[in-house]
Amino acid sequence: MTLEVDLSSVLPVLAPLAAAVLLLLMDAALPGRREPHLVVGALGLAAGLVAALPGLRLAVGEARSSFCLAGGWCAYRADHLVSALQVCALGAALVVLVLTWRDWSAPGPGAGAETTGRAPVVTALLLAATAGVVAVPAAGDLGSLLVALELATLPTVALVALVRTTWAADRRARAVDGAVALLTTSLVSFGLLALGAALWVAATGSTRFDGATRAEHPELLVLAAVLLVAGLAFKVSAVPFHAWTPVTYAAAPLPVTAYLATVSKVAALGGLVVVVRALGTVEGTTLVAVAVLAGASMTVGNLVALVQQDTVRLLAWSTVAQAGWVLLPLASLSAQAASAAGSYLVVYVTATLLAFVVLAAVVALGVQARPASLEAQRGLLRSHPWLALPLMLALLTLAGLPPAVAGVVAKVVALRPVLGDETWWLALVAAVNIALGLAVYLRWVAVLVAPAPRRQAGGVTAGQGEAGTGDQAAAAAAPAGDRRRVPVRLWALTGLLTALLVAGSILPVGAL
Amino acid sequence: MSGTLGRVRADLLALVPDLGTWWYAVALGPLLLAAVLLLAAGRRAAPPGHRVLHRGSMVAAGLSALGVAGVALDRPVLEASWIPSLGVSFSLRPDGLSVPLLLLTALAGVVATALHLHPGREPRPEPVDLADTDPTSPIPVVRGEDVPGLATYHACLLVVLLGALVAFLAGDAILFFVGLELVLVPMWVLVARYGDPGSDREGAALRFLLVTVVASSLVLLGILAVATATGSTDLALWAGEGGASLGRGSQLAVAAVLLVGLGLKTPVFPLHTWLPWVHATAPTAGSVLLAAVLLKLGTYGMVRLVVPVVPEGFAAWSPLLAGLGVTGIVWASLVCLVERDLKRLIAWSSVAHLGFVVLGLATGTQAGLQAALFGNVAHGLVSALLFVVVGGLKHRWGSADLGRRRAAVREVAPRLGLALVLGMAASSGLPGLAVFWGEIGSLLAAWSPAADRPEGWFRGFAVVAALGGALAVAYTVRVLREVWAGDRVEPRVPDAVLTERTALRLLGVLVLVLGLVPTLLLGVTAPFVEGVLGR
Repeated sequence: MTLEVDLSSVLPVLAPLAAAVLLLLMDAALPGRREPHLVVGALGLAAGLVAALPGLRLAVGEARSSFCLAGGWCAYRADHLVSALQVCALGAALVVLVLTWRDWSAPGPGAGAETTGRAPVVTALLLAATAGVVAVPAAGDLGSLLVALELATLPTVALVALVRTTWAADRRARAVDGAVALLTTSLVSFGLLALGAALWVAATGSTRFDGATRAEHPELLVLAAVLLVAGLAFKVSAVPFHAWTPVTYAAAPLPVTAYLATVSKVAALGGLVVVVRALGTVEGTTLVAVAVLAGASMTVGNLVALVQQDTVRLLAWSTVAQAGWVLLPLASLSAQAASAAGSYLVVYVTATLLAFVVLAAVVALGVQARPASLEAQRGLLRSHPWLALPLMLALLTLAGLPPAVAGVVAKVVALRPVLGDETWWLALVAAVNIALGLAVYLRWVAVLVAPAPRRQAGGVTAGQGEAGTGDQAAAAAAPAGDRRRVPVRLWALTGLLTALLVAGSILPVGAL
Repeated sequence: MSGTLGRVRADLLALVPDLGTWWYAVALGPLLLAAVLLLAAGRRAAPPGHRVLHRGSMVAAGLSALGVAGVALDRPVLEASWIPSLGVSFSLRPDGLSVPLLLLTALAGVVATALHLHPGREPRPEPVDLADTDPTSPIPVVRGEDVPGLATYHACLLVVLLGALVAFLAGDAILFFVGLELVLVPMWVLVARYGDPGSDREGAALRFLLVTVVASSLVLLGILAVATATGSTDLALWAGEGGASLGRGSQLAVAAVLLVGLGLKTPVFPLHTWLPWVHATAPTAGSVLLAAVLLKLGTYGMVRLVVPVVPEGFAAWSPLLAGLGVTGIVWASLVCLVERDLKRLIAWSSVAHLGFVVLGLATGTQAGLQAALFGNVAHGLVSALLFVVVGGLKHRWGSADLGRRRAAVREVAPRLGLALVLGMAASSGLPGLAVFWGEIGSLLAAWSPAADRPEGWFRGFAVVAALGGALAVAYTVRVLREVWAGDRVEPRVPDAVLTERTALRLLGVLVLVLGLVPTLLLGVTAPFVEGVLGR
């Protein structure tokens, strides 16, 4: 039995992993330095990104594969859609790394064991998790899928827990709480996944997804699929498996939250795409379970987001609602549905990242005691129009309302398979949720465009910062007094992501 | 005679430069450019004065109107690939259905940008009963003045126009939907930020937005269902197929979803409840655009997306639709007899007029469709005229409450008074004015509906609708008696200023012309109507 290995096609996965190993070695060789590690990490992600780009030009039916058996089955298979997901994940991880650059390159408290901060460790964790995310959608068998999913999940738990040691003790305790919530749910979901995988093998007699899955017991296969979907629904934070999301999002540092909200979602969706494609070759039925998950996620996510007073929590609940939109097309098992979900996810990731980047910039400005609260952003359009406009664009994209045509087209793409099947009840739930989602995001937009409140003279004091969130503490630790400026890297990220959304609004890509 | 006219027309047309698809650049470009410039100007620390903003916005709307006129004459076709993966093309294709509405939109745009915006103020002190002078009562400013956020206000007006023009021009369903959605956010801002501060303007704006977004989401579902069935989003192709690729069940479902969605926008009884509130709150120009443009999107969508595309489904639902339309006529007319807020009253009369339009549509005959399209345009003109008058009066009075004693408009503001009389007379369906032809046409069509419609029901609807038309005369008389007639001359209010006079003359002349020579419009829509129902 020979195994064909094509290293160039697995490079999107290998590059981040190699970078992770390299920077751990560097940490041993060059203790006390931080910037080089971050540079190596960024280079690893960028190399993976570049390596994944050629996959975008693949025609239908073509794929870049590796670890192939003579029979034609491959353990790693990246076609057009998978490559797009990989590009999306690597790009988003790169954005997160830039977002968190200053935080991770800052030194630890004056003396003791942590004078170096934790740059090597956290960067290696980020790289490892990203490599897992990139590997998930390309998985060709159940084993690779499960391992890649765990690789994508477990390092993020550590990322949530490993907050800066300069933060107040209660704030760090909350971060541990969030990490524990994430860990518990990911273990439970892994249990479900393992059970689903076992049933899958029992039903089909094979761990491979080799195009023509033949089920001896279709009922068993459906049960396996439902368990697999439930396991993955934890990661995509679909209702009723969403409970960890608000806790963890609010507890983690902002860039890590951005990572969880974007890159991790690619892993979950990648896993779903793999399962749906494998099932699609079996039978053309609708998975009612997915439809119910999608409808419930949208409705609950939007309704709860509607009453949030904190923007991070609002975004957390909005990701629950958006998870519903990502799942929506998958209710009909078809190749079109998988690519529709992928296309929606790409738009969602871009818009959500933009929102988080702007949020980080607002926090860096630190104009108020609680910069992440909704009320603190009142009148942002007047005071900082170049931050408010991209944020409004991102929110309108998530809401799916012109002038953000990219969001409208994404909604169109997501709804198409549902109406192709004429699943009217689900389509109607989605239609109502367009309005609900609009109410959620426009509530924020209305705050941004509202006239600014009268502020008292004098900004924040360090004391207020300690009581607030950790990000504020970081902001307050910076030299206070003068008007703070938004760092150049945040401007660059804002500009890049805004340009992507504007380009996507003028010439939408549509379905991948 | 007609030969001479034809030659004159040909000579005039020869003078029009042949810009081809560049007409679209003239029609849409200035709106987009001016909106962006205005938004940028509004962000500056010291925004330019009201004259610059007002004139800039008017010039943009005027240029765009010229472009729309060119489009209406030339009818160029623009086809460009837009979203290849979905098969969506950026196609602009005006035809007999859209040309009148395009012209109406351009006209409404010029009127809306021309009107001055005034900041909301406290209601004027009410004079003591019969104390016939109140020298301390200030005369309100009716000319242009610097208002905070004026640039954004004008930018919103222009974006609403842009979205409506795109929707009317679109030859592709997804592009139509984008246009339909584009009007929502600016309209929301217009109501929420520039609406009447005396009422709950944010609540009204939110209600408007949520209702119309639910509506357009439903429209999107319908569009996507048809698109997946036919494999295309080309509207001409949809109309050509006539629903052949959809089964009866699908046709019923698609028609139901689309009719509910568009019925919310039109609005059709009982989905109309948002309209009076929003109208009463919106600034005058917002009301003009809402009545003359946004509501037209609903009826346009019915004629474009439902009547030719899912004919079987539409035929099945049409008795219900006609019944709801007729109920709306009677209901709204009865409300008009007791409504105390003048602006809200005009909004209710809109619901009644649109009931006639829906009735004409539902008959499924060529005459009915012609009447509906005519009534649609006529309602746009008349309601724009009335909202200009009533909005002006509301600003002058400080409120639009009919319960207060005011000076007779005939005495203190004769020009506004004349326009009010003309508008209300047209609204009551007086022969010789525009609305008459739409209403009488709908009634006649309902008396003899298409073969597959239940004739008995439709005859009953015709009778009830005729009674509703009589009620219109009653509320017209009520309005004129309470507002226009009388001999009180205090508190004085200023008469129409130049912008209002121009707008009112423009609209008034068109109401008269369409009333006297209805064939002007019927001739434009006839080819389209024959194309849809000739089969």
